[in-house]
Amino acid sequence: MFGTVYTGFGYWDVTAWIVFFAIAAGLTLWLRAQGRDDYKEGTDQDEIYWSGNVVPDDGAEISVPASSAYWGFRKAMAPFYKVLTGMHTGIATDIVGYYVLVVAFMAVFILL
Amino acid sequence: MNWNDHLPALLLMIPLFGAFVAPLVCLLGKTTRNALLVGLSFVTLLVSLLLWRNVLIGGIAIYVMGGESFNLTLPSGMALPIRIVMEVDAFSAFMVVCGSVASFAGALFSTNYMEKFTGLGRFVSLYFLLTLGMLGMMITGDFFNFFIFIEIASIASFGLVAFWRDRPEAIEASLKYTLVSQVGSMIFLIAAGALYGKYNALNMAAIGSLLQFGVMEKIALVFIIGTLAMKCGSFPMHMWLPDAYAEAPSGVSCLLVAVSQASLYGLMRVCFSLYGVNLGGSFIPWMIISMGLASMFFGVTMAVVQHEIKRLIGYHSVSQVGYMLLGLGVGLLVLDDARGMAEYGFTAMKGGIFHIFNYTMYKALLFLAAGAIYYATGKRDLNEMGGLARRMPFTTAMFVIAAAAISGLPPFNGFVSKLLIYESVFAVHPALTVVALVTSVLTLASFVKVFQTAFLGPEKTVFTGVREVPSGMLFGMGVLTLAVLGATLFPSWTLSNLVEPAAKALVDQAGYIGAVMGGGL
Amino acid sequence: MIGNAPFFVVGLLFLAGLTAIFMEKNLIKIAIAIGIISSAVNLFLVALGYRAGGTVPIHFLAGKETLMVLPTPQAMTLTAIVISLATTAFLLSLIMLVYRHYGTLDVDEIRRLRG
Repeated sequence: MFGTVYTGFGYWDVTAWIVFFAIAAGLTLWLRAQGRDDYKEGTDQDEIYWSGNVVPDDGAEISVPASSAYWGFRKAMAPFYKVLTGMHTGIATDIVGYYVLVVAFMAVFILL
Repeated sequence: MNWNDHLPALLLMIPLFGAFVAPLVCLLGKTTRNALLVGLSFVTLLVSLLLWRNVLIGGIAIYVMGGESFNLTLPSGMALPIRIVMEVDAFSAFMVVCGSVASFAGALFSTNYMEKFTGLGRFVSLYFLLTLGMLGMMITGDFFNFFIFIEIASIASFGLVAFWRDRPEAIEASLKYTLVSQVGSMIFLIAAGALYGKYNALNMAAIGSLLQFGVMEKIALVFIIGTLAMKCGSFPMHMWLPDAYAEAPSGVSCLLVAVSQASLYGLMRVCFSLYGVNLGGSFIPWMIISMGLASMFFGVTMAVVQHEIKRLIGYHSVSQVGYMLLGLGVGLLVLDDARGMAEYGFTAMKGGIFHIFNYTMYKALLFLAAGAIYYATGKRDLNEMGGLARRMPFTTAMFVIAAAAISGLPPFNGFVSKLLIYESVFAVHPALTVVALVTSVLTLASFVKVFQTAFLGPEKTVFTGVREVPSGMLFGMGVLTLAVLGATLFPSWTLSNLVEPAAKALVDQAGYIGAVMGGGL
Repeated sequence: MIGNAPFFVVGLLFLAGLTAIFMEKNLIKIAIAIGIISSAVNLFLVALGYRAGGTVPIHFLAGKETLMVLPTPQAMTLTAIVISLATTAFLLSLIMLVYRHYGTLDVDEIRRLRG
């Protein structure tokens, strides 16, 4: 049941992966547990550092919104995204148009 | 009377009965309605598991609707099968299991999620009709009957996508889906009529045994593939899919995922078992492979920049369908080349089919988790969410499992099917594997974004009243998580019992035809 | 050649409906165009079954004739008509709700879901 999956070119073994992951996780946790003796939780050694400013109470003011998450990626591929979002107009008959175009393209090329 | 023989008909009758009885039962109150919805979905799941076990042991299961005996397809003196014949081989049984698990999970989820809606009697009725349409698409052996079940499923999904009728966007999404679906169905009907006109047979096995690849068959094949690829959501005909999946109630989105897999089933059935050796060269396989590549890449690049959670998951649907089209297209490419099939074609098909199972499970789970977030917080926009992991630990855990599975992270099941696809597709051309790997990386990128913005991060004051979702929704998500974890921990069992019989049945056109025609090609 | 006339009409009707879907801006006209396409496909199915000199495919009404037109396409056409009835009903009620929400029936204006 916990067998290995043999693809034609290699293999995948779940049990081996889980064992390695457990060993690596144990090692990591042990390393993290090595700490300094003078670290106390709950004092101001534990506070968020926000460049010296006062940390606001409401989390909404320090969270990064999702739309700014990949702005670099989007800006770098701006010409690509302009064409792609230009295709997704949202007009109902455009969807039908793309469908008919694909069927017509396939029909022409299969008859050649 | 041996119940095992009548399982295909039972599988269709139970949702049909539920659909017609639902408006009456719902007059008796909320508990009766929920009991009907969950109970009949569970019975459908049991019947589908029994049918799968039957097909694994006994080979292809035939059922003649209304015949003198359940497997009398050719009464004396007939050269072609009469009456509508249901033909369940291992691939159909596999898809039926996937579909009924998704239907059961969505039903469990909807018992709690739909509390704020009115008109729930009609919701239950439409839900059962959609399940019926999906299951019928997967087990029928008759081409016109396949069209009928496509229409049943489409009409039910028009109603269910527009179910939130106070929201203008839901009506707009349903309208766009209706428009393109109708045009597609009409073109599909032309192909069905043309094939009937030439061969005087509507049964898929009968047409498959008589088919010769000429001009009319080429046009019919193109019409069929175009329509079914549109219903799966492959680029460039996918634009209705993110809208429809986002605006439907979440239990329904869960089921719609399985319904689009039924169209993928139809596509593969037509290409492998209807046309099969008569596919006429490599144009159609390469067309399917390129549609798969385009769907993968353009789907995921559109998904990375979305900020509404269900629309983002809908675009990922488009890209995951690309993986399946790629795997099955490579299998189709080497269908008549025995050496290629043994080297990489069969592995590609196993990867594609295993991916169908994995995708149905984790995509349905993602939609249910997004629905749970909406139910708890009332928000769907990722810009306004944050810090939900403290309040909703179970939803977070199940979302992490689903997101890791879809990104193809080891040890989850998504990784296994993607590994099979990568390694076998590499033998056709390395560029195909490169596109698939880039897509996987971008999928991981976008789900890291979703997980971080929705669940991690500082606590927001607007969410102090958020509690974990009710138990019905957790059970629904739990069913799917169990399926994902089962495929994760027992990949070789799943591959050898679920996937490999399905792949073998798909490649075996002669067996499919012989089961109905009773002889040989 | 004259026997193929129904199929030419089918092609013309289908193209007329398809062109109307792309050219028209009013949603009701697009719904009518889908109805035209359905009519074209139903005509195709019925015309498939015709056999020259055939009579009605009802056994006791046929009399002495033995050549009948095919009944199966007629059954297929009836089924297709019923299905397009249901879908047209859905389409029209969706258009009605769209008008109530958006205030317009112009296809280019109904695009809140885009991108």
